[in-house]
Amino acid sequence: MRTNGDYLLLIILAAIVAFIPRVVPLLYFTKRKIPAWFDEWMKYIPVALFTALIAKDVFVTSTYTFNVNSAAEVISTLLVFLIAARTKSMGITVIAGLISILIFSYVL
Amino acid sequence: MNEVDEENQGWLAVFKIALPLCLSYIPIGLACGILLHSSGFNILLTGLVSILVFSGGAQFLIASMLAIHAPLLQVLLMLLFLELRYALLSASLSPFMKKESLGFLVYFASSMNDENYAINYLKFATDKNWNGHKAVMVNHYSMLFWTVSNMIGSTIGNLIHFDVNIVNFTLTALFGYMMVMQVKNWLSIGVAALSGMLSVWLMIVLKSTMGLVIATLIASFVGFLIEHSLEGHKHAFLLRGLHLHRRKGQFTDVKETSDNHED
Repeated sequence: MRTNGDYLLLIILAAIVAFIPRVVPLLYFTKRKIPAWFDEWMKYIPVALFTALIAKDVFVTSTYTFNVNSAAEVISTLLVFLIAARTKSMGITVIAGLISILIFSYVL
Repeated sequence: MNEVDEENQGWLAVFKIALPLCLSYIPIGLACGILLHSSGFNILLTGLVSILVFSGGAQFLIASMLAIHAPLLQVLLMLLFLELRYALLSASLSPFMKKESLGFLVYFASSMNDENYAINYLKFATDKNWNGHKAVMVNHYSMLFWTVSNMIGSTIGNLIHFDVNIVNFTLTALFGYMMVMQVKNWLSIGVAALSGMLSVWLMIVLKSTMGLVIATLIASFVGFLIEHSLEGHKHAFLLRGLHLHRRKGQFTDVKETSDNHED
């Protein structure tokens, strides 16, 4: 049985593990002269990263096998893209996405 | 308008920008709190992990790995691979934060995560008045909503049944929105498609979220190389701005004027 002390230890170690990747590049790249090509490269990080995260949610299971988790998820993700492009609103996009997945996972 | 009002408008204006994210955190935070509760976290520990780790993915991972009684070291190793993507986030924010002090950077990094990063990156790239102070406010608003939702989720524990898959989709929808907001031309759509395919393949091959990090690095670098090789071609099809982008420009114009309408 785990005690609260075990959880506390886990939280503190997890916090360190989560903090190091956040802080090291920020300290390193803001205090040194960075070649222009690096900044140019970094421009494409957000679009690549978010698509990778979406692809993980939709196509990869928790045991790292390929699986289309649900048709509802695929349809709703495509719908989210459309709504985001049309409305430019984070709130509307998320709410519409949730409604869509509720409806499609009920229907399909 | 006196100065106090202007200051109020400052935090209120930032709060309005962060609000959609804060609201989307409520259902995810509740679900995460419920999961943490079921794997043995009490309300205080749930609050603590939400503040110190402050990452939806990491907290879901902790809850699910504790539920299968994974050893501590294995949980931490999985977390490290999951959290390595933050290195990409902070590296790509660094061009905007060159003037900030060392202390501020440490302070900022401690509250940065995927979602508030996306807001801040977008604002830094499109809004000249955006600064580190406002960015850290976005971080703190999102952290407040996240932590409180987690703690409420932990309290209501087993009272409410959430379908975790559906609640999880909130995050997917958020990422979808953020991805679309980054689309500037056909090349960025190509980078997105490449990154999506590579990440699925690499994650399955490597059996780790490390695949996600590598795919992001490769796809963004390919994007950079193609852009570089197309420089000079004035009418390069891939670099032509999309309709979407022009509208986004108008949108930020409108937004900025509406933000300043009382001046």
